[in-house]
Amino acid sequence: MIDEAFWGAQATSIDALERELARLRRAAVAHARERGQTLARASVLNLVVYSEREVHARRAARAVADLALRHPSRAIVLLGDRDRDGVVASVQLHCHVPQSDGAKPVLYEQILARVRGDFDERVASVVIPLLVPDLPVFLWWTGTPPSDARHLDDLVTLADRFIIDSADFARADRTLPEIARLARHRVAITDLNWARLTHWRELIAQFFDVPAWRPFLDGIGGIRVGFAVDMDGRDIHPSQALLLLGWLASRLGWRPVEALAPSEAGGLLFRMSRGDGAPIMVRLRPRFERGLDAGDVSGIRVQATHGRDTAEFVIKRAPDERHATATAIIGGVVRSERVMPLPALGIRELLGEELAIARNDHVYEVALAALMALA
Amino acid sequence: MTVTLQNPLREGLRLARTPEPACLVIFGASGDLTARKLMPALYNLALQHLLPASFAVIGSARRRMTADAFRTELHDAVAEYSRTRPINEEVWATFARSIDYVATPDDRSYDDLRQVLARTDAEIGANGNRLFYLATPPAAYEPIIRAIGAHGLRGESGWSRVVVEKPYGYDLQSAMQLTSVVQEVFREDEVFRIDHYLGKETVQNILVLRFANSIFEPIWTRQYVDHVQITAAESLGIEERAGYYDSVGAMRDIVQNHLLQLLALVGMEPPAAFDDRSVRDEKVKVLRALRQIAPDDVGSLTVRGQYGPGFIEGERVVGYREEHGVAPDSQTETYVALKCFIDNWRWEGTPFYIRTGKRLPKRSTEIAIRFRVAPHRIFTREASEGVDANELVIRIQPDEGISLTFGAKVPVQGLRIRSVNMDFGYGESFMVDAPDSYETLILDALRGDATLFTRRDEVEQQWAFVDPILAGWHAGLQKLASYAAGTWGPEQADELIARDGRSWRRP
Repeated sequence: MIDEAFWGAQATSIDALERELARLRRAAVAHARERGQTLARASVLNLVVYSEREVHARRAARAVADLALRHPSRAIVLLGDRDRDGVVASVQLHCHVPQSDGAKPVLYEQILARVRGDFDERVASVVIPLLVPDLPVFLWWTGTPPSDARHLDDLVTLADRFIIDSADFARADRTLPEIARLARHRVAITDLNWARLTHWRELIAQFFDVPAWRPFLDGIGGIRVGFAVDMDGRDIHPSQALLLLGWLASRLGWRPVEALAPSEAGGLLFRMSRGDGAPIMVRLRPRFERGLDAGDVSGIRVQATHGRDTAEFVIKRAPDERHATATAIIGGVVRSERVMPLPALGIRELLGEELAIARNDHVYEVALAALMALA
Repeated sequence: MTVTLQNPLREGLRLARTPEPACLVIFGASGDLTARKLMPALYNLALQHLLPASFAVIGSARRRMTADAFRTELHDAVAEYSRTRPINEEVWATFARSIDYVATPDDRSYDDLRQVLARTDAEIGANGNRLFYLATPPAAYEPIIRAIGAHGLRGESGWSRVVVEKPYGYDLQSAMQLTSVVQEVFREDEVFRIDHYLGKETVQNILVLRFANSIFEPIWTRQYVDHVQITAAESLGIEERAGYYDSVGAMRDIVQNHLLQLLALVGMEPPAAFDDRSVRDEKVKVLRALRQIAPDDVGSLTVRGQYGPGFIEGERVVGYREEHGVAPDSQTETYVALKCFIDNWRWEGTPFYIRTGKRLPKRSTEIAIRFRVAPHRIFTREASEGVDANELVIRIQPDEGISLTFGAKVPVQGLRIRSVNMDFGYGESFMVDAPDSYETLILDALRGDATLFTRRDEVEQQWAFVDPILAGWHAGLQKLASYAAGTWGPEQADELIARDGRSWRRP
């Protein structure tokens, strides 16, 4: 059963749904006017959310509602229900115009389209008439995208942006290359897991803005990246750490020497080589960290030499989960140590960040390519 | 310029460009501007990861004080004035380590400053990059600049730049005098004259609106524009600034810099590129084309006013002459309205009305472009009674945004037309806190981008426009009008615009 209190009343057709939405908008505007407010129907984008479980759909809908103020949109939540083989394929539509209590009321529209049975071929035909014309379409796929699936391909073809979260992938090393292939649809792909790395990349890059430290960037000999695992340490999600490594490798022209090899306790230990052929030892280490989600990077240590000088650049998440300490150690002496804010980013912040950038991220794509070369 | 290797990790649109390592030297470090604006801006830059990994701040002022006492003062100031609160103590603690203080009560003490600078520079690897920030009262600018030169405070390598706060001069002559002193020590491209209005997001957005869109520029001319109104209204009085304000007045405090800059941005031709040279070249061309208001014309083209007692937001407030520290017979203006013309091909004959005042009913800065009415009326008079000319309003503060009014049919049988408003609000569309203008400007100065700073020739043109008006006022050719606090200025201002069959907007 669909919870109508959450998803709104059911509509019998797309026409009826649009009429209902228009009625709800007028009511909301009138209601706002009584309180002396004006209500803007500002639409910036169409957001299509695909999920196969209602909990995921709800979680996504809440994140979108939180974001509505920043990125007012028409949100179309597709809930695919495959469980009932043999059930006649059906489409069930619900809509509502959520009321925000905030000081700045903005209208946004939420539509739930629940598709059941054998829906692969028909799902795009439900979405197309619901899209607001002339606005970009963002497709947010919750869970692991299937490989070679009709409904995925159809939806990706409609979209300008394809948003995934590789932290959710059961086997990131297998799924990420599949994702990279979707680029053939000329859709811009973004990975929320990559957005989680933005602050890390920024802090790493800043070390090498210092002219005196810049030469060490060409003399890196060792990298250690720590990432969080659950207390029991069973599920290992190295995809974020791998992306960070892929980024460094693609930016600095490192080449794979040997394939990813598991080391003790679920970690990875392998060699790469620099542009000048010198070896780089890479170690990705899972460790239990309180307050971090499984897979989140918890620290990085870069060891480098330049001539006879040695240097270590270390960024470590503080135990308070909100800060990181960035330290530069040159010739064994700490030359700079800064505490920087490094807040854990929720889905809301990450998605908000993604929606603000309206094009593909070339740096991500090459980082992904570098990663695929390792796999 | 020393050539440094590129940082390949910098690529990608998500990563904002951070400046090179540098030492920032703040003169006037014990003053109000440092406490209210500069340090909160620096701290917020640190929070956003926008400061370089190697960075030091050296405060300097006459007062003797330990570096620890200075840091404590700054901590409290940041805690009070930062736009993000509460203060993040962990971040502050490491940021504060990079702050030092050197007292400069006399000429000799600048040698101490040089030594501290050299030592700090070597420690952090700043490579001689130095930004000097003059946050002192204007009387101290010249001695400090001379001391920077005489005591060799510029680094031996790297870049040196100087940021000069407003007011830049008191009139054309003193501005040129200041420039000649500055140029004993700094090249023009090393001088960053602050007009903090230019650091505001919406002011930069004027250029984006005009030059990133193709629909506005073709109608941005005398053929389509009836007139332009620029308003900078404040509800505040003079607060604690009586001594300073009474000696300058609204013309020097607001019109000479902020309003003429807004006028230049609205009136300028499209620059060939968005860089410091192209943008400022175009701005200075407009300022040069601004028709002089000769002393004899101040009676017909200018209004000067001073507020009397009245009410602001329901509270009784005193008149200007009763303010603490103001002479009871002060002739200083707290309100200015001008009618100006830009004598060039684009704007010939299109008036620009500009006004600013203290103790007006509300705080509001905006630019309104009023278009001509439709050339031929096809609807009946009754139907089009509610129609007004189209108006494009750029709201700069508060409630930043852009709105456009146009006529629309009222949805009833028969034809009735009413003006409606199409409104874009910055807040609603982006929902992010716009950075403070000082954050933008300090970062730009550290990066060496002077686009949002005022060039020597701009400042001089601005004074050249303002000086004859002040001379006319001084000669008694326009009386000081009075207005009650909490009203939209003196009646004479309404008459100034009503003579042309127009009226001021109500912001």
